[in-house]
Amino acid sequence: MDQQELNAKLSEIKDKLIGIEQKADNRISLLCEAENSYAVNKFLFEDVPLRFVIATGLDSDDCFEVIYHYSYDQTGCCINLKAFIRDRENPAIESIAPFLPGAEWIEREIHDILGIDFKNHPDMRRLILADTWPEGVYPLRKDAKMPAERPDGEPSSRPMVQSQSPARRTVQLSKPVVPVGPFHPLQEEMEFFQLAVDGEIVTDIDMRISYNHRGIEKISESLQFDQVPFLVSRVCGICSASHPTAYVNAVEEIVGVTPPERAQYVRVIINELERIHSHLLWVGLAGHFIGYDTVFMWAWKYREPVLDLLEEITGNRNNYGNVKVGGCREDIPNELVPKMLKELDKIEKKTEMLTKAVLDDPVLHARLKGVGILSKEDAIRYAVTGPTARGSGVAIDVRADDPYAAYADLDWKVISQPEGDVFAKAVVRLLEVLEALKMTKEALKKLPDGPIAVEVKEVPPGEAVGRAEAPRGETFHYVRSDGGNRPVRHKIRAPSFVNVPSFRASCIGQTISDVTITLAAVDPCYSCTERLAVVDSHNNLIHDYEALLRLSREKTAKLKKEIGAPEWKMEDF
Amino acid sequence: MGAVLEGKGKEMSTPLNILFWIVVVPGTIVLGLVASWIARKVSALVQWRVGPPLLQPLYDVMKLMGKEILVPQEAQRTVFMMAPLVGLAGVLLLSIMLWRITVAQTAFVGDIIVAIYLMVLPSLALILGSSASASPHAAVGTSREMKLVMGYELPLVLAFIVVVIKTGGRLNLAAIAQHTTVLSISGMLAFLVALLCVQAKLGFVPFDIAESETEVASGIIIEYSGALLAGWKLMQTTMLVALPLFLVMVFLGGFGTTGWALAAGIGKYVLVLVLIILIKNTNPRVRIDQAMKFFWVYCGIALVVAIILAAIGSSCGINWL
Amino acid sequence: MSWQIEALKKSVWVFHVNTGACNNCDIEIVNLLTPKFDVERFGIKLVGSPRHADALLVTGAVTAQAAPRLREVYRQTPKPCVVFCIGACACGTGIFETGYHIVGPVDKIIKEIDPDAIIAYVPGCPPKPEAMISGIVKALSAI
Repeated sequence: MDQQELNAKLSEIKDKLIGIEQKADNRISLLCEAENSYAVNKFLFEDVPLRFVIATGLDSDDCFEVIYHYSYDQTGCCINLKAFIRDRENPAIESIAPFLPGAEWIEREIHDILGIDFKNHPDMRRLILADTWPEGVYPLRKDAKMPAERPDGEPSSRPMVQSQSPARRTVQLSKPVVPVGPFHPLQEEMEFFQLAVDGEIVTDIDMRISYNHRGIEKISESLQFDQVPFLVSRVCGICSASHPTAYVNAVEEIVGVTPPERAQYVRVIINELERIHSHLLWVGLAGHFIGYDTVFMWAWKYREPVLDLLEEITGNRNNYGNVKVGGCREDIPNELVPKMLKELDKIEKKTEMLTKAVLDDPVLHARLKGVGILSKEDAIRYAVTGPTARGSGVAIDVRADDPYAAYADLDWKVISQPEGDVFAKAVVRLLEVLEALKMTKEALKKLPDGPIAVEVKEVPPGEAVGRAEAPRGETFHYVRSDGGNRPVRHKIRAPSFVNVPSFRASCIGQTISDVTITLAAVDPCYSCTERLAVVDSHNNLIHDYEALLRLSREKTAKLKKEIGAPEWKMEDF
Repeated sequence: MGAVLEGKGKEMSTPLNILFWIVVVPGTIVLGLVASWIARKVSALVQWRVGPPLLQPLYDVMKLMGKEILVPQEAQRTVFMMAPLVGLAGVLLLSIMLWRITVAQTAFVGDIIVAIYLMVLPSLALILGSSASASPHAAVGTSREMKLVMGYELPLVLAFIVVVIKTGGRLNLAAIAQHTTVLSISGMLAFLVALLCVQAKLGFVPFDIAESETEVASGIIIEYSGALLAGWKLMQTTMLVALPLFLVMVFLGGFGTTGWALAAGIGKYVLVLVLIILIKNTNPRVRIDQAMKFFWVYCGIALVVAIILAAIGSSCGINWL
Repeated sequence: MSWQIEALKKSVWVFHVNTGACNNCDIEIVNLLTPKFDVERFGIKLVGSPRHADALLVTGAVTAQAAPRLREVYRQTPKPCVVFCIGACACGTGIFETGYHIVGPVDKIIKEIDPDAIIAYVPGCPPKPEAMISGIVKALSAI
């Protein structure tokens, strides 16, 4: 379906809308009242169909808005559905989670921060605010009064927010236990991921997030537009180039400015270098989980030259602070280019050797194939992105679908595998490292002359979405401006927010020895994977993270013995 | 114990006696710390690292002595606190016994049985201590340790029985130490089995199933801190003296006290230590079921063969069997 | 108390606590403990339980959800112990100071339950592994 056909299709639900805005060829906004949002969403997701990205909730003085963001990847078109909730006293809207599990978490989040009630949501428990956060205080409302007392309390006074639909959960959340006594992680905090098992098979999983919630979206509203890139690059340390890139893509669209060509190339180089060292980190962790410690040591060793390169260009190994509205802050000196090319050649050779070894190793095939399968249907229903999607046959990639920076000028291909298991995702990531190396070298060679930035003095009123392909998937930012020098609303969606919930789909039915590697295949933030535990129905700890790690490594050792493949040594790489 | 130790055998003059007590007990502990350092240093060099300084094990123990002791609220207090002391005491007693047999020749009939009992004490103490800590993490490790103990204790005893058969059925360590039983097929088999059992007892790779070096959290001593943890560490380091020494006496012809015999004795101890460290650094960790299979099946078969050979050799006077 | 501190300086077992960090500091800490930097030379070892720890490597600006855990971990660490605040967030909340979910920084939370706590600061965003080693060694020699 090309853009014209898409526009025609969208007008089929014209009767339920109160307006259609088309700012550009591939940026469409549909407006509707809250009452019709369920029907329109269903149409967009199932009948068009579109890929669900995220939803933004915001407080608009006279009403609440819930903006559902969709993407039509064939043409790179972003479609926003703005639903207006006119009742400010009891804001409510129909939940779309029943047909779109990928929206479960974001609806819980909007409920936490804005107090909007999502009717018929299967599991409206608190998601991102702490257990001790007082009820009724919604931080992102314009009139929000932050709690007078610090909201972290003592453990014994911590209330547990119970599920309102008890039939749904088989893993009951534990009551608070005063945590004196032996070091029992379940007594003092709920584990990040709690798995319920039947013998050796996982039957259910419950996830609690909040530990990392720093209220960044609200902080962004108090910073000026050009200060925000520094903030968002610290959303996640290892996607720290993609967040500012997505943000400035949005702001530059509002301003109507295009950064100079050289800046576009520098952005590509930094983003691709980040992809390389992020994927290598993943390879190392995956190796550690399954007991291939040679791979672990190899990966961490070969990350270092990439980090050194980034440090030479930007001044820091992580958190580069190089992307700004209108271009880049630091230029890549032309004298540095030959040296960089040489380093990248070295890394490319080593990565090719490792990739070949991985693709040929019978033990890895036996260990990872058929493990942690995320089916294509589930990948779409959970709205996953990045290698998690591409390893399940959903070949979406923002760099190709909705090109930004200089990606349209470079010669590269989207890597995808159909099987959906951990092996497929590993292959996707390894091949992407090779593609990224190719792209970086090409960009360095083709680096055009010219200025590194255009000056942007003001941001007019408006709104836009900006996205970038982070190593983990699509990073999506929505920015609204009212002409002042701060964002009125800044919605940040990291790729892990949609990828991590899909762990439920890929994990149920697996054996506990495969749990750590299945979670790793989603590539969540490093700290998340340590918070993993298996409990029984009385919330007694059966296996902690260490035990699960051990089980995973033992399974590999057993396979190694059965298949009889030789041991991997560092010297071979 | 004193009476037993002063049993038959050469009487030591009183100043020598005092010297013995002053030197041997702390000396064994110090020797254990040094042996532990050697093991860690070799591991580091194998990984192309520099490794810890010589006094590191001593610093570790001293540091632990200075820390608070936290006892879990639900733990069995007395057992929890006594367990490391019991374990350490067992190892020290074994060391003392072996030294006295060497130096003062106070061996007695059945002393090898006493030695085996004392050798079991550290493992029992670990199991008791971790059970008493009421920690779910420790519980997982406890069951593994128990299985492991059930795996290797029997082969260890059988290995010693091989030696007893070969040396004419006398349960007297000094007499056994006169023979170098390893220089025979059955003796070599028994020695190798006993060496691997000792490896498991020390909690070294490939048998560090219950408590691994880098993942102490999954260990059975997770709840221990301060001086109690120091007790466990000392127990483990002192085992590096007692157990190889025991092996030397049983299989390698004992430890002399003067001149050539002394040098040879030191050499034999170092040899066993080196073997233990080599095995530690060249093998990956095995699973508990693999370990059980190894001890019950492979070691069992080897030992049955060894016992038959030893019996034949002993009755027919063929020493090399 | 002095010989305990002297021994502590030579044998520091560390436990890592993440109180809501962006992971950069955590990744650099893992980097620190790989064989490349060989921290065993300094007597440093990573342990998996606070009960075996002498030093807590704390990252993150302490979110409301993570604060109780940080307090509990500190209580379960036998004294004497050192709390290392790794990174700008842990040292002083950094860029997240105005966040509504942030209750840190780390020293504020620790001092509430132990006003005499020994706290050391290793700033950076993130501090490089070499900077961390340098910070740890310097802090230990200054105690």
